[in-house]
Amino acid sequence: MYLKGNFSKARLREAANARCNRTEIVKALSQGQISRRDLIRMGLMSAAGTLVLTNGLSVFGKSAYGSIPTGAPPSPMFDVQPFSTPMPRFDVFKRNKVDVLDPAPTAESNQTQRLLNPALPGVTAGQTGPVEGRPPGPIWAHQDFTLRPPKVAIIASQATAQSNGGIYDPGVLSDFNCRIDSTAAIDLKFHPGLPTQNPANVWTFNGTIPPKLVIGRYGEPILFRHFNNLPCDPKENAGFGRHTISTHEHNGHHGAENDGFTGAFFFPGQFYDYHWPIVLAGFRSINKDATDRMASSPNDSGGLDNVPGDWHETMSTHWFHDHMFSFTSQNVYKGNAAMFNIYSGLDRGNEAVADGVNLRLPSGTAKSFGNLEYDVNLMLADKAFDRDGQLMFDIFDFDGFLGDIMTVNLIFKPFFEVERRKYRFRILNASVSRFFKLALSDASPIIQIANDGNLLPNPVILTELDEQGIAERYDIVIDFSRYAVGSKVWMVNLAEHEDGKAPSGDLSIAEALSGKSSDPCVGKILEFRIVRDPPTPDVSQVLPVLIPNPDLSKIPVARTRTFEFGRGGTQTTNDPVTSFFGPWGVKTNGGDMLNADFGRVSAAPGKDTREIWTLRNGGGGWDHPIHIHFEEGRILSRDGSARNVPAWEKGRKDVYRLRPGGELTITMQFRDWGGMFMEHCHNTVHEDNAMLIRWELDDRGEPFMRPLPTPIPTPQGVTFVAPDDILRGAL
Amino acid sequence: MGTTRSALIAALVASAAMLVRPPGLLAAGRWGADYFPNVALTTQDGKVVRFYDDLLKGKAVAVNLVYTRCTASCPLETAKLAQVQRLLGDRVGKDIHFYSISIDPAHDTPAVLKAYAEKFHAGPGWLFLTGNEDDINLVSKKLGSSSLTDLASRDGHQPSLMIGNEPTGEWMRNSAVDNPRFLATTMTNFFGNPKRGGPLKSYAEAPAMPEVGSGGYLFRSRCSACHSVGSGPAVGPDLAGVTARRDRAWLVQYVSEPDRLLDEKDPIAVDLFARYRNVRMPNLRLSPEEVAALLHYIEEKSRSPVSFRNAAMP
Repeated sequence: MYLKGNFSKARLREAANARCNRTEIVKALSQGQISRRDLIRMGLMSAAGTLVLTNGLSVFGKSAYGSIPTGAPPSPMFDVQPFSTPMPRFDVFKRNKVDVLDPAPTAESNQTQRLLNPALPGVTAGQTGPVEGRPPGPIWAHQDFTLRPPKVAIIASQATAQSNGGIYDPGVLSDFNCRIDSTAAIDLKFHPGLPTQNPANVWTFNGTIPPKLVIGRYGEPILFRHFNNLPCDPKENAGFGRHTISTHEHNGHHGAENDGFTGAFFFPGQFYDYHWPIVLAGFRSINKDATDRMASSPNDSGGLDNVPGDWHETMSTHWFHDHMFSFTSQNVYKGNAAMFNIYSGLDRGNEAVADGVNLRLPSGTAKSFGNLEYDVNLMLADKAFDRDGQLMFDIFDFDGFLGDIMTVNLIFKPFFEVERRKYRFRILNASVSRFFKLALSDASPIIQIANDGNLLPNPVILTELDEQGIAERYDIVIDFSRYAVGSKVWMVNLAEHEDGKAPSGDLSIAEALSGKSSDPCVGKILEFRIVRDPPTPDVSQVLPVLIPNPDLSKIPVARTRTFEFGRGGTQTTNDPVTSFFGPWGVKTNGGDMLNADFGRVSAAPGKDTREIWTLRNGGGGWDHPIHIHFEEGRILSRDGSARNVPAWEKGRKDVYRLRPGGELTITMQFRDWGGMFMEHCHNTVHEDNAMLIRWELDDRGEPFMRPLPTPIPTPQGVTFVAPDDILRGAL
Repeated sequence: MGTTRSALIAALVASAAMLVRPPGLLAAGRWGADYFPNVALTTQDGKVVRFYDDLLKGKAVAVNLVYTRCTASCPLETAKLAQVQRLLGDRVGKDIHFYSISIDPAHDTPAVLKAYAEKFHAGPGWLFLTGNEDDINLVSKKLGSSSLTDLASRDGHQPSLMIGNEPTGEWMRNSAVDNPRFLATTMTNFFGNPKRGGPLKSYAEAPAMPEVGSGGYLFRSRCSACHSVGSGPAVGPDLAGVTARRDRAWLVQYVSEPDRLLDEKDPIAVDLFARYRNVRMPNLRLSPEEVAALLHYIEEKSRSPVSFRNAAMP
């Protein structure tokens, strides 16, 4: 941790000044001219007695405005104490019958016209626009809509902060939800002692908290109708967040029209119908007749309904969030993030069903599937407040924004009541830039069972989890039977940040608990209170084999590619949720541009083939959590060796942490759905043209690539950039 | 002594507190006068303007950072923005304002910037700005256009184009070297276009695009802002037939490292530099494969009869 000589003179001068300031303050403190209390009040000293690393005080603090939270003074806490309020369970979306949808969903976008609100920018009174924001025409029609019609409808709206009015379905009785009365109104606050958020500051699903959860199962397609009820006037955003949205079901194996393509956003007043068919990957080529019981979905009567596809591709824990071009991080931070539990014969959310397929992971027994009593979603996110206690964000911090308020399920450092038995936790990192590294305060073992929503081939017992990057999901099992009723244990974050580029270091559990870290999100973040013995014996299991990986040995490797992220003048941005950097705009091995050679790409990922990609971090001290859409991939090696792949990364994944200076090799298949195989990322430094590629299947089921013009949504309808727009150089 | 020291400490603590407490973090108007520095900058015409009061307040703007001695992406940024400006027509300077701020202010005097703007055919309403180095660094930081990692080198600066709507406080970051038509459309939609009328072309009618090879793609994204193949010279020469006229090895070297050839006083490079108004051809760090693909594309394109019509000797 030192400043190298090649920093600008201004930066070094700033650091020198910081050193002087710091020395003077320490001296003044030691001579009694100012008190610790003064410094704490001024936000210059932490309660533990260390000077906070703010610009002007720390030699190493990020240049200008570098502090946690980035670019702002410490968030006011209104004397709220940690672990003084319960953590609410997620709010489960109602699973409706499809016929409640009005208008009924259509394969192609519903272009029925309606009068537009002239408060929308670019709209004049009397103009009309389509009710659905999905681009019109066959390109964006739902694939397999007649073959896999939706069976469940979920109606959601993106809306400004409001009270939930006592409408809350935690999916469990209140005993399993810290005795929270789900019929009492919950105001939008990050803690009961913190201010109610203004409508302009927080935009969540339905405008309410707790965060939302979708329950789905294989073979039961969901129609997710997402209304945009955000303000028409873009000024009503408290300084961050964009009122147009595009919803990405994070690694859903769906057609591209439902992927939340960054450029296919929709406006206030519109809806977008996302069709999530929930199929096993390989369903067009493997187990097509659905004869394998392992590839199955739980039915309502305790049995199994077989589904086609490869059961080794079964997924369990997803999340979905905004993917709006250029505004993803702001919108996700502002509340556009929810989770999606997918149930299968293997992972049915019922620990008692013993049918030879069910893995019987901790969940519950009351319902045939999807029991949540002992299966808990956790959403981790750091936030920052302005001096009024309202959520704030620095939109100009492209190094990555860090907050100083740690929340779990959108509540500041809550507690959660548990029984003396095994629990499953599905942990999502929903931060903007922060990495977590989790452990229990007593260093007792945690069993990791899934990574990015895929159950591992074998469970892994750890005393500290690996770092968890933005958008990564870790499913773990904790056995609380080792604790006495009345005792407490804490979930602890060990990853310390100084800026948003990467963790500055991982602390030991003792160091993290000591309170000496200047990073307010290090240390205890969630308190478990062991409150009772389980009313019935814990029959859940963590078997030594969960879901083995698919056998790829007979699948030819069509092509290998190398991608390098963030080097030299083409430094990548660290807008982490947006950093689905993928293949676009990144130099490939030997320099040939993948995105440049449509002809060759179209020949490459042929039917039943796979590719091997090497992802390399070009340096700059950043870590890049890279998300690649389409299918789950598998890490073959880290830094050149398969031995470097830790046990908890040996399953399937969809987010890949490169680690600073690191490199990893992954393999993935391309099949089943037509889709935007890649897009030219318009994002900032990715220097690319507006254009996208769609991967399609021809009449015989053979895949091919078709370059398409990028959609340009407007309230009046979706237009496009003409494909023949090569501008002449002539003036 | 004691009093003096106390005063010193008080002042010091006060100033330190100010550093960590930037003013004006209000719920509304967060990205306004309290956020942006109102430093003085000088335009290419020598006019002194205030960054916030004169350039941002109440305006829709597109801002990038350049410097005229840049051998990397700046010339391409500027050429692309000139295309965006032409696409936006007379809106630029009226309701959309373009600013290119020099990060090499010691060298980039107003006169240097004026000559630079003219080379790239920058139209009215596009200001090229210079000023005090610390002020510019501050502006650049506030725009999120520089970060710790690239302060060390100007060439590492990001080719970002900050597009901002000051009255609404909305800002988005784009690549300054993106497709000009995409940038123009993005700005039009972002700022709103009260003049838009008539039916829009529906995406339902969007055709599939022609297959484009890597050479064509490279030409379109990296070259076409300054060069044509057969449509006459622009910022740079018309490249029709260039593969026949020039020695292959020289051509490969020039496309790969134009900056080095010019610095080494290669006679052809020097001659081109002089003939094309001292515009430096950027080193776009193309790989040998990319250079080969590009030259192949130019060769193929040159074969079409129209290509030779206006071809000048580059």
